[in-house]
Amino acid sequence: MAGERESSVPPAHRDSDNGFWKTALSLGEPADRSHEGAQCGVRPLDWLIDIFGEDLGFWLGYLGNGKHLAWYASFRFTILAAIFGALIGLGFGLGGAGLLRARFRPLRIAGLAYANIVRGVPDVLFFLFFPLAFEQLVEWLISTQVCSPEAVAARAGSWPPCMEANWFLSTTEYLILASVSLGIVYGAFTANVINGAMNAVPKGQLEAARAYGFSRNQVFWRFQVRQMWIYALPGLSNVWMLLIKSTSLLSLLQIPDIVLWAERLGAPNFVPTAGLVHPDWRWRYYLVLFVFYIILTFLSERGFAWLRERVGRGVVAEG
Amino acid sequence: MQPFLDDIATLAKPSLYNIYFAAASIPLGFVLAVALALVRASRSRIGSSLAGAYIYAFRGSPLFIQLFMFYSLALSLNISVWKPNGLDWLVLHPLFLGTFVLALNTTAYSAEIFYGALKTLPRGEIEAARAFGLSRFQTFRAVVWPNMLRLAWPAYTNEVVFLFHATTLVYFTLPVINEQKDLMNKAGELFERDYNAFLHFSVAALYFLAISLAIFFLSNLVYRRLMHHLGPAEAKPRVRFAPKYLR
Repeated sequence: MAGERESSVPPAHRDSDNGFWKTALSLGEPADRSHEGAQCGVRPLDWLIDIFGEDLGFWLGYLGNGKHLAWYASFRFTILAAIFGALIGLGFGLGGAGLLRARFRPLRIAGLAYANIVRGVPDVLFFLFFPLAFEQLVEWLISTQVCSPEAVAARAGSWPPCMEANWFLSTTEYLILASVSLGIVYGAFTANVINGAMNAVPKGQLEAARAYGFSRNQVFWRFQVRQMWIYALPGLSNVWMLLIKSTSLLSLLQIPDIVLWAERLGAPNFVPTAGLVHPDWRWRYYLVLFVFYIILTFLSERGFAWLRERVGRGVVAEG
Repeated sequence: MQPFLDDIATLAKPSLYNIYFAAASIPLGFVLAVALALVRASRSRIGSSLAGAYIYAFRGSPLFIQLFMFYSLALSLNISVWKPNGLDWLVLHPLFLGTFVLALNTTAYSAEIFYGALKTLPRGEIEAARAFGLSRFQTFRAVVWPNMLRLAWPAYTNEVVFLFHATTLVYFTLPVINEQKDLMNKAGELFERDYNAFLHFSVAALYFLAISLAIFFLSNLVYRRLMHHLGPAEAKPRVRFAPKYLR
């Protein structure tokens, strides 16, 4: 362990003068300079170095180099996927709960099938399957329009049916697909939560509303659905916690998210001009992500506790 | 129909890897979780808060990151620790490391379940046992343990099923050695061969569903045994398929 510690101090740091600034600031390979986040020219302020010494200067330079800025920027993918996944999941959850509560029997069976099959299968499987299947479906639809029979025959047994039908997915499209598949998976959980919450609304209140002369529709929308949120909140907060944790899977869909960047940044870094800048540091970067998710969970818990208190005002018996 | 049957046959062996990961980590996780829950519920403030922190950290972060973190940690300790002691073949092997991380993870989730059960134990029964002159250990053996198990069993079953689902993540993070592929790996490989996503992933999903249902069936047998003291007249509770915990 001691030896490991020793070698983890960047060698560039040791060979003094101007050498290490260059290394600290140009950790990104030349190819990376074209990246939007690259800022190879910026140097930390000199007065900061005067006060805190060169160590701080080194770390500022290291943590502020282009690749690190790209890593910080990639947190947006995680946040966006969580937010849109949650919104879509809420949509699927409301739809699924509607199916579960439908009077028409086949609809009810469809709702049960959705809720139980999605939950009986690992979320990773859906997460990978849905974007693939959707892509293939679109490519098949395009191919029925643009492909000539000869081209299809020539490429038999491979996909897409012909090269014109190929749909290239960029990060944005993958992010959308990832959000939708998160929505489908967690929609199944949400459907159950909402279904339970609808049942938890006190029957007496609904009967009272009916007695006051509200129509069935009014009772449903103005009383049952509105009251339902209070009872659904604990369950929804649970689902949200699951969802933020599964946003770590984005890198499986080629999205350059925080996990992928952590892997890239932590890998042993060798620059021809400076030698080995640092050995394998991946576990440090993963440790940062580990802590990041714990903080995210903590903040969500706090947020939901606050929300529950606010929404629960005036509710006598809570769920 | 034939491709479907072929897939079922091809995926039979990979499914054993998922079953292995679950079967190897669950007993270990169970023992550790019971110990951790007891520490969490103990009167020792330091022990309780340390156990609480462990549970919070492992439940609050994704298993995916945990696997990556422990694997890269094991890799960076390889040259200084594992190699000189001749342990690298074991520690860096996914069949060991994957099981190890899964066990750490399931320990946290199960400990939370057992802790919840410990907190709702009927106070009176424990007091009665103490009043009868049973020692601390006897009280645990005769009152706390069976009650805790009964209360926690339905939730623990769900945890087991989800741990089984989580075994898919092992080979997304750890290296795949030769033909040691689990269900998702193999389904992905088959997909790359003929691009038939619907067939291969559905068969993999069927395997997961079938094994999950088998777990519920077995767990129900155990639960019935645990609830043996309830006479036939009383309605016997059943383990319900209501997964709540996921990673």
